[in-house]
Amino acid sequence: MNSINFNACPECDLLISIAHPKIGEKHHCPRCNLLLLRPRKRSIERTFALSIAGFILFFPANFLPLVSITLLGNANTGILMSGVIALLTKNMWPVAIVVFLASILFPLIQISLSLLISGHLYFNRPNRYLVNWMRWMHHLDEWVMLEVYMLSIIVACVKLMAISPLTFGWGLYAFIGLIIITTLLISNLDIPFFWQKIERLTQDINHAD
Amino acid sequence: MPTKMNALRQGFIRCHDCGYLVKTIAQISSCPRCRSHLHARRPHSIARTTALLLSSFFMYIPANIFPIMTVNQFGTGDTHTIAGGIIELIDGGMLPIGLLVFVASILVPSLKLIGIALLLLIVYFRWPINSRRWTSIYRIIAFIGRWSMLDIFMISILVDLVDFNGVQIIAGPAAIAFSAVVILTMFAAENFDPRLLWDNQ
Ligand SMILES: [Zn+2]
Ligand SMILES: [Zn+2]
Repeated sequence: MNSINFNACPECDLLISIAHPKIGEKHHCPRCNLLLLRPRKRSIERTFALSIAGFILFFPANFLPLVSITLLGNANTGILMSGVIALLTKNMWPVAIVVFLASILFPLIQISLSLLISGHLYFNRPNRYLVNWMRWMHHLDEWVMLEVYMLSIIVACVKLMAISPLTFGWGLYAFIGLIIITTLLISNLDIPFFWQKIERLTQDINHAD
Repeated sequence: MPTKMNALRQGFIRCHDCGYLVKTIAQISSCPRCRSHLHARRPHSIARTTALLLSSFFMYIPANIFPIMTVNQFGTGDTHTIAGGIIELIDGGMLPIGLLVFVASILVPSLKLIGIALLLLIVYFRWPINSRRWTSIYRIIAFIGRWSMLDIFMISILVDLVDFNGVQIIAGPAAIAFSAVVILTMFAAENFDPRLLWDNQ
């Protein structure tokens, strides 16, 4: 048996002959129903474009005010980082680190990695670190929690609105944009196709050696 | 479909990171495509998942006993636990938000702890189960874990915004314990290999 003609399901280990679904079709594991393949139209181009957009939006989402609250005549403005700093200064550094990683650092790394990977594939540039970037991106996936953070902003705002008036800043709109972009990015990223492309590109380096 | 359809029984190992299929008889230790270490199943899956699960059970107690948040208003402190905060929300007429926080902070973590414990027992004692159903349960457990961070992120927002002369919100020690529960159970779910649910059937 030649391994090229087969695939294994990552969650039930069923040996399956490689399917070639058309764009828009989905291929599920016949035994455990896991979604295995879901080819996307122009996956590399779209991932590259969305990564650029996400990378640009990351900065206003992080540095412009999200929400402002006025209480007793004083106003307080929150940005993503100020929540982390507030926890740090109040002896809550383990929580501050978790919030910083899940809502700021990991999203930035994820967008940067997808920008690097799709950029190299778009321009057909081989790079020996492509495989490492792909692996890091794969492991980072569930630790990027922007959409959970968004829900927390909504809940916090509903709680605070009962006490005092709130104003929403441009950072919040950029943050919503960033969540939409990263969601689109993940749905357009065709990981098995990216791996095939990388395999072909790295074979070219090995032949050149 | 019988176990003999498994890739491992047919002499193949699937790379965890990139999905490349390698023949077992080739006896290579790293993936030819992505250079990551090859393992037929996640290494020490049961031992690691058990250790992580026990640590999260251990952290689950302080997370629910100690205060998660204190509201200081003009000299008087109002301290509450996770459950107390939810009751306060519901009493204050914010039922939908109260229910949302209840699901994220109480229902999801406890169901996750029970769910992972059951998955471990199934594999350890080779209980006959419907593998397809339990793989779906595993997928739900792995998917919902991150949503429990809702309360932690909300505290970071509240601590930051409500910081005035006279009125302040302060995070309590349960915030640390609860973050630990969420992270440890996420690692536990990640270390559990769902293919073990199919191997013994
Ligand atoms: Zn399967
Ligand atoms: Zn690999």
